[in-house]
Amino acid sequence: MADYQEAPLATRPKTLDPNEYFSVSLEQRRSEQSRAALRANLKRQYQMQLNNPLRRELIEDPALTRWVYARTHTYPHFNATSKTSLLGAMFGVAPLFILYYVFKTDRDRKEGQIKAGTVERKFCMSS
Amino acid sequence: MRTSHSVRQRPSVNMAGVGFRRWAQALCRGNGSGISALVSGCRAASGVSKGSLPGPYPTTPEEKAAAAKKYNMTVEDYEPYPNKGEGYGDYPNLPERSQHERDPWYQWDHPDLRRNWGEPIHWDFDMYIRNRVDTSPSPVSWSSMCKQLFGFIGFMLFMFYLGEKFPSYQPVAAKQYPYNDLYLEKGGDPEKEPEEVKHYEI
Repeated sequence: MADYQEAPLATRPKTLDPNEYFSVSLEQRRSEQSRAALRANLKRQYQMQLNNPLRRELIEDPALTRWVYARTHTYPHFNATSKTSLLGAMFGVAPLFILYYVFKTDRDRKEGQIKAGTVERKFCMSS
Repeated sequence: MRTSHSVRQRPSVNMAGVGFRRWAQALCRGNGSGISALVSGCRAASGVSKGSLPGPYPTTPEEKAAAAKKYNMTVEDYEPYPNKGEGYGDYPNLPERSQHERDPWYQWDHPDLRRNWGEPIHWDFDMYIRNRVDTSPSPVSWSSMCKQLFGFIGFMLFMFYLGEKFPSYQPVAAKQYPYNDLYLEKGGDPEKEPEEVKHYEI
């Protein structure tokens, strides 16, 4: 196993990671234990709900609710700093004006060409 | 979380529960008349409570501990996004790893998402699902990939450019017809002798 090479698109499994065995302190083991305890508690809650024969509704996931809520309620935590204002201006305000000018000048130029008769309109059916 | 409304979901009717439900409804309807009776101060206790939803950026260590508990994380793992007014609040800043990188053989609660129930969701989770962005290690290094791709594209572009500059075709000549260039077929006089047309050289 010493010459194990992981598959090209996979990460190395935790049990074969040398750092797991050679440089682990007691605090790291303790924090891993507390993480595992949290995870086990969540697993237990889920399994209790999943295998409850009297349950008729969907199992609601509070983490999902929090995620959706956080993504939609960003305005209360918004502050107009230089960076956020710059981003807002760059993506929200500038495209309006830039695109207006680009389209307007292009269309005016085309209209001038048509009036002067210089452009060949292959698919025009109105004239 | 059980409230009086849980009566609806059980097949057998709990008489005490029905009675309590009717009493609660009567209480809500009791004060005022018309619209004010419907807009009552009575709120169902089911669903998420306000304390379990994301809140503002935590400043004190107690707030940080409470937020870590809320998101089911350990206190040293929990790290909120920096408070730059970008709208994150106290949502945890999880490592930017795609779901592709998670163990495919572990028994996840949701196997297609490779996620367990109740696990804190990354802010960009919908980007990191297995149909989309993949952060797992690539087979060769980035520089090698860039060199191969742009080298190939550059070489092909250069060769096509040379082909445009120096075209080379099969040699062609005008078509040669027999019978003195089809003298009679082209409406020549049958009495007259046509001039000899020779298409070869010996």
